[in-house]
Amino acid sequence: MAEAMKSLFPTMSRVRLWVQIVMLFVTVWGASVVGHYSAEKISDALPALSCAYDTQNGGYCVLVPLQHQVHHRVGTALVKAQEVTLKVLLPLAMTMLTFLAFFFVLGKAFCGWVCPLGTLQELVQRVGRRFGLPLHAVAADKLGRVRPVKWLMLLGLVLLLPLLTGMGVTAHEFGNPYCDVCPSRLATTLLTGNTEEIALKTQSPLAFAIGALGNTLFGFIAVGALAIRQPFCRICPMLALNAVFRHASLARLVKRQHDKCEKCGICTKACPMDITEIHTEHGRKAYHDDCTLCGRCAEFCPDDDVIQVKLGPFALFRSSRDYYKKRMTGEMPDGTVKPVRIVRKSPQGGA
Amino acid sequence: MPRIHCALLCALLAGAAQAHQGAHDVSGAVAETNGPSSPHGDHGVAAAWSDHPMLLLAGGDRGEVAFRLSGFNADHVTVFAPGGAPDRLEVDYPVENGQVRIQPAAPMMGNYHWAQAREEQDGAVRVASTVQYFSNPGDAPTALLTRLRSELEIVPHPLPREHSQYRESEKWAFLVRWKGAPLAAHALRLDTEYGSHSTAYTDDQGIATVVLPRDFGVPKAAPGKAVAHGRERAGFVLSTSHVEEGRTYLTAFNYTYAPESQRSRSIAWGAAFGLLGMVAAVPLLRRKENENG
Ligand code: SF4
Ligand code: SF4
Ligand code: SF4
Repeated sequence: MAEAMKSLFPTMSRVRLWVQIVMLFVTVWGASVVGHYSAEKISDALPALSCAYDTQNGGYCVLVPLQHQVHHRVGTALVKAQEVTLKVLLPLAMTMLTFLAFFFVLGKAFCGWVCPLGTLQELVQRVGRRFGLPLHAVAADKLGRVRPVKWLMLLGLVLLLPLLTGMGVTAHEFGNPYCDVCPSRLATTLLTGNTEEIALKTQSPLAFAIGALGNTLFGFIAVGALAIRQPFCRICPMLALNAVFRHASLARLVKRQHDKCEKCGICTKACPMDITEIHTEHGRKAYHDDCTLCGRCAEFCPDDDVIQVKLGPFALFRSSRDYYKKRMTGEMPDGTVKPVRIVRKSPQGGA
Repeated sequence: MPRIHCALLCALLAGAAQAHQGAHDVSGAVAETNGPSSPHGDHGVAAAWSDHPMLLLAGGDRGEVAFRLSGFNADHVTVFAPGGAPDRLEVDYPVENGQVRIQPAAPMMGNYHWAQAREEQDGAVRVASTVQYFSNPGDAPTALLTRLRSELEIVPHPLPREHSQYRESEKWAFLVRWKGAPLAAHALRLDTEYGSHSTAYTDDQGIATVVLPRDFGVPKAAPGKAVAHGRERAGFVLSTSHVEEGRTYLTAFNYTYAPESQRSRSIAWGAAFGLLGMVAAVPLLRRKENENG
């Protein structure tokens, strides 16, 4: 039994892959298990892009109620010059509390272990590594330009535009603008055989343009993920929302100060989000906004107990020299798979 | 490669303009369909387009709605809630001037509520039924639909998920039951506001599969106002009858359906822009000189 478990789950990455596959089924096709109606879903405020447009899913992402409540309740109340009363804010508070209840336990692991779009990008990336396609890491000097985009997506598309639309300032096409460009909407509905979402709305030039932008982004990510690790995650508003609350969760990444780090940096090479801080910092700063709690940095850290993935006081995984050596036999930190050696016999019969 | 991108982008943008002109206009109205932002249960408020007993939506919001009784008379309408306090699970509302105003079981509680009224006359029992989606959180209608409400019933199996709706060209299942037991090989008739008619028959489990016709845009059976909040809906009514001990029972279930989504969407343009994005990412797949990965 122990042997069978070992061959099924030889590494933490393999455990994570299985969890991701199960969660992909739950988040994309879970209705067959949890129920047909929205009220029967696991939650309508999940901290992962489990899409509400996918009619067969098992739960909804928090971004859809956030946009709707800001648009239909807060924005509308503001424009009627009403006070934003408790009645208006209560649904929003309930949404955030539900989100936090989930987030409290798993935290950013929703990105690294649950989100269907995160999983799909990783699967595409594996194809890229398998076929030896080039890998483009976002260079340390360019990170500063990419990182603010996720905050702009959260503040602009999830909060500000729906608010302005509710107040009648922006066109009604901007009611839930993030959903209209969200690649998870297209990926998950296509996985259920539904082509409606990929079809562009033709009722107004603006709706068409927003949809066109969303489809172009989706196409770019579908191919780009072959050569860039988690291309969409880097600008995902959920990454930003999860970052706000990351220290409030039981699940977290912990790195202690270690003298050998300066000359090493394998953790950053292993990080699918190209986070340099996991190499250069320790303590709170090492657990960066962009972390998805995938645990690869801990797996590829060659020293004992330097990086840990923790749940409350418990270390779920801690880096170790022995594990590192074993891990390196199958895969390089950047995900490149070690080629399988084919030994061809010479015509003379020698090796 | 950048030049190819520019050419592709120009071609797509030029075509985009045409796409709007070519967009299907459904009866001159903008047909916003599906998507989590759609409201629910905007029943068509047309003149009677069917003789069957119907409860037609006549306005309201998430706190209260009005129904107009059509094709029958009753002094009250009973509303069955999906959950909430026991004394609110089944509430009678008086009919005044052919209209009734109903409320969800609790002010902040929503989801599907079942509304039903009956008329008994000359040995005939006629039951009208419909559902109303109140846009607030509330229990799923799974348990609500299993509850017995009258002798002969048409039960959606299931209802469209919250934030969704019945639409043209879709197949939907309905259970026909008599005193709680499924009626097999039983006729279920469909009539729509646009004048389509069809009949489906139940299987051994009492389930009939109904195809909502693609009939938006043809002249209506009885012209009326069916556009609510800029989102077009039309009414449909399912009806079935059964004779037992000399009494005729006729039960109807009316609700609304929306235009097929493809009337206002273009899959070709969707695919074209998806491909544009893919092509834009192709340069990433070429190896750089100093690439280390
Ligand atoms: S479109 Fe994206 S943000 Fe909107 S509900 Fe779906 S997954 Fe969530
Ligand atoms: S950052 Fe990535 S994994 Fe996290 S929610 Fe966004 S797409 Fe999903
Ligand atoms: S810092 Fe570590 S856990 Fe976080 S994303 Fe990078 S590799 Fe994964």
